[in-house]
Amino acid sequence: MASQETEETRQILSRTALSFPSPRVVHDLLSVGVCPRCIFRLFGVHGQAYCCSAITASVLQSFLEEQKSCDNGTAKNGLVSDGLVRCSYTSQESENGQAYCCICLGVLQLACEQDQEMMTTSKDGSIDDFTATIAELVKRENHHIDGFSIEVSIPPVIVANERAIWMYMNKKYKCEEWFKDKIPSQHISVKDALRLSINTSLENHLGVKSGVDSFRFRLNYSHLDASRMLQSSLANDRTCKKQKTDKKDSGDSLDDSHKSNLKNSNEHLRSESDAVILRTLESMLDHAFCEHFVIPPEKFSRKVSQSRWIIDDERMGEASVEEIVGSNALLVCKGDNYKFHAAGREDIDVRMLGSGRPFLVEVSNARYMPSMIDVQLIVEKINNSDKKYVRVRNLKVVNSQAWTLMREGEAEKQKQYAALVWISRALTEEDLHNISSRKDLDIIQRTPIRVLHRRSPLERKKIIHWMKIERIAGSCQYFLLHLCTQAGTYIKEFVHGDLGRTHPSIGAILGCRAEILQLDVTDVKMDFFD
Amino acid sequence: MEESKEDETLERDSLETVEKKEEAGEDLRSLLLPDIKDLPPIPPSAVESNFVRYFAADFMKPGHDQYVYRHANGLCVIGLAPTHVALREKGGVTAVDYNVGKSDRSEMKVTGKRKRNAQHFESNSALCKVCANGTFYVVRCCVKGSLLEVNDRLIKQPDLLNSSADREGYIAIIMPKPADWLKIKDSLLSHEDYRKLRGL
Repeated sequence: MASQETEETRQILSRTALSFPSPRVVHDLLSVGVCPRCIFRLFGVHGQAYCCSAITASVLQSFLEEQKSCDNGTAKNGLVSDGLVRCSYTSQESENGQAYCCICLGVLQLACEQDQEMMTTSKDGSIDDFTATIAELVKRENHHIDGFSIEVSIPPVIVANERAIWMYMNKKYKCEEWFKDKIPSQHISVKDALRLSINTSLENHLGVKSGVDSFRFRLNYSHLDASRMLQSSLANDRTCKKQKTDKKDSGDSLDDSHKSNLKNSNEHLRSESDAVILRTLESMLDHAFCEHFVIPPEKFSRKVSQSRWIIDDERMGEASVEEIVGSNALLVCKGDNYKFHAAGREDIDVRMLGSGRPFLVEVSNARYMPSMIDVQLIVEKINNSDKKYVRVRNLKVVNSQAWTLMREGEAEKQKQYAALVWISRALTEEDLHNISSRKDLDIIQRTPIRVLHRRSPLERKKIIHWMKIERIAGSCQYFLLHLCTQAGTYIKEFVHGDLGRTHPSIGAILGCRAEILQLDVTDVKMDFFD
Repeated sequence: MEESKEDETLERDSLETVEKKEEAGEDLRSLLLPDIKDLPPIPPSAVESNFVRYFAADFMKPGHDQYVYRHANGLCVIGLAPTHVALREKGGVTAVDYNVGKSDRSEMKVTGKRKRNAQHFESNSALCKVCANGTFYVVRCCVKGSLLEVNDRLIKQPDLLNSSADREGYIAIIMPKPADWLKIKDSLLSHEDYRKLRGL
């Protein structure tokens, strides 16, 4: 059996060697400490060479030795020796420490912390073991997947390492013919090489094919020491263009400004660099699976805010739309977290009636994709909950296109409201006419005082498309004002005038004081979700 | 014969849809319309509902009564209280000038969410001068904080002070730091105490 494997390995190596410039170059790289897969990458090798776990540095070494002797005309038997054969270049492997590739730092060698004790016997981790662990995790978390794709994140220091090797090769071989041909663009990135290595094996373990836009694996690699060294070396290099410094007062002495330069640059780098946790398989697998639901919900209570409202650790309002909908969706999809996105929002004391407002729920790390029936289940749970705070309809699973649609709608669509208004004198027929005759009324609103603490002080032009007064039987000073406005209009301020900062206001139009008691949203014109 | 039956069904269906829509409309209306008996004859004003009203009586000078309306978010609206001497003058207020020597307060422009370029003032800093019956009265900040906005409408329409000094005739909006507010809060009068003091 062993010989069959080695025969296969040999064949793969023979094919691969066609891409090599010459055995001594490969020798050289191996001696410098580059791992086989990195060597394959640098010379643009594709295909099975990456999946073959048996190709260790020593195996490659021996193969090349054999090739050399073949070239020299000396016949040797064709068996590729297994990893136990040592030769002078690879003697360092048996020692700990220097066993990792000097470019990819072991990423393509699939070695991980746990293997350290086993370093001497099986230096290059088997691809199968690696992917088996990944598959294990998927099973444990009970994910149901129909495909996968792999995302890889590697520390920038690897790029720096590769560059160093290129510069080394450039210095040594720049006059040689093959070097000019092998332009760097031919080489394959570490990320692609990793994918080539583990794709097929993963497909076998998981029983599904890899493809875009499916379940995504994120492999986060980081190397604390190497990254730190890189950071400090970059910081010391003052010619590095990445530094951005705040303009300091001219009063600073030269020394001070240099110091602040370095300090800023260090922080800048720290925030730029990738996650610096030591590479361990277990904690590094990071899934991100998003689902989207779109529903127009109706909010029936004036005690429910859109999102959780907490001031000083105390919850304001009794509940929130976000929580009611999100928690139910989370339960059914068996996810970790949810995010709630709506096409606009209203104050806690405003009811959302009529057709409702469209929104999106994003469930992250969902382990289960709900079917139509499950979706219906969510709707029922929400609608039939005790307090009947929120009602939803038209719930379905959507893709990311819906997101764009919703965001567009938020800014463009018109909204319809019904407000309970009181004025300081009796309502007349003329008033009704006055109000309903104004079409597309332009108003200017300064940022309302109630939000001025967190929004920019601006003057915003808004349009009131139409208005209609509905008398209330039994009262001459109260009436219902129906109006349709541009998105982003502050209705309350339009009614009472916000101390004159919204002009014209209902009070100004009718020539008296006007107050608003109740506000309800009756329609949000975004029908394309139906 | 069959055709007419189909027509009938179609008509019925469309009628049903219309009825359903009307029903939904009716439901909506019933939600919107209030119960008359729940409505107060005079509801609280926007200022009353959203602000807590404080007053500074005889601020730095006798008769200079000013109000500080504080919103739940911490912003303070400053203005002339109804018992301010300027409002009692014959002819009322005739001019408002935000140029108080050091700078023209109406010139400043505050931008951005953090309002970093707002000017900081002490409680006794001058905001503007109001002219009534030939006399100039200085209006001050009353609260230490950043000046966010002045009511520049007063420049063109000083009469707003005579008609509604407590609403459209406000002088300025100031944002005090929480610590600064706590210090000054106790020296101000509540609405009740102010009315008692002035015998209103």
